[in-house]
Amino acid sequence: MSPPMSVRLLVLFVAASGAAMGAGHEFDDIVKAIERHYGTRRTHIPLMGVANLVTKVDRPAGTSGFKLAIFEDLKDRNGPADLDRFMSGLTVSSLHPVVRAHSRRGGEATYIYASDVGRTTRLVIATFEPGQATLIEVNVPMRTLLQLLESPNHAAGLFGQ
Amino acid sequence: MKIAAVLVAVLAPLCAQEIKMPASFDKLAAKAEESVDVTLDGSMLRLAGRFLSDKDSDEARAKKAISGLQSIAVRSFEFASEGEYDPADVNAVRSQLQAPAWSRIAGARSKATGEDIDVYFKIDGKGQLAGVFIIAAEPRQLTIVSITGILDPEHLADLGGQFHIPPMDLAFHYQGGKLSK
Repeated sequence: MSPPMSVRLLVLFVAASGAAMGAGHEFDDIVKAIERHYGTRRTHIPLMGVANLVTKVDRPAGTSGFKLAIFEDLKDRNGPADLDRFMSGLTVSSLHPVVRAHSRRGGEATYIYASDVGRTTRLVIATFEPGQATLIEVNVPMRTLLQLLESPNHAAGLFGQ
Repeated sequence: MKIAAVLVAVLAPLCAQEIKMPASFDKLAAKAEESVDVTLDGSMLRLAGRFLSDKDSDEARAKKAISGLQSIAVRSFEFASEGEYDPADVNAVRSQLQAPAWSRIAGARSKATGEDIDVYFKIDGKGQLAGVFIIAAEPRQLTIVSITGILDPEHLADLGGQFHIPPMDLAFHYQGGKLSK
């Protein structure tokens, strides 16, 4: 005998809430991990939420749920191998590591994680430059992820960063 | 019968064995001007398949090509000058691509450009193409592509230019259990 509709709805609601909370926590968890690893704090961006609502930022069509954290004055960066170890040690259970790109030319490193959120793909993009890092979470159409695979070093630029 | 069972037990893990990238590849990333590492597992490929259009001919072909795949992994390095990677690193990968699991299907070497491309296929017990490994080595560039899962050889070239796989001017035909180029 199957459980009553109310119980099934409650289970569905709890599961959906858990997934949503997990998704939110992962961005914050990565923020905290970067702060700990580099001995820094994310830069406060005044009125970031309001800016998201009222300004038309140059982002690809179909994107939503934009989150941004910027870190400055990063210390103790010991090259790409150290950064790879740090990033691969992060716990991002619902996200798949899709891209890892290093550019010695520009001193940049880009990590892209993705997960399925129904009709769109949730991306977490971490970009490291000398002394600075940017973390972006955004829901994008799959086509945007496929574009990013072709030029991952320009991932943050695609979202106006 | 017992011999067959023993053979299956011995060969099965060999066939399932993943190709290991040499540890020195991590050091190459530090030396390279640009390095990109793309990994798409089965769930990401299924997701990509859902969103690739049937109306766009390139996307429709790529969609068909990835429908039976388990993973695509691409590792590429671009160097500032020639001789920055050791051919021994590439040979360490090649040495794992051995018969009976793997067959080298195509190889092209250009003295003019120094380009050196090898394509390896893994055929499963049912005669289906179950894995592709591509090594594209140029004096200043090295790209390794690993594709696992069931793939129609005719669709291999359709994956070129997608998912960070370099464009491929290759055509394979598989008919009656035989592969032809």
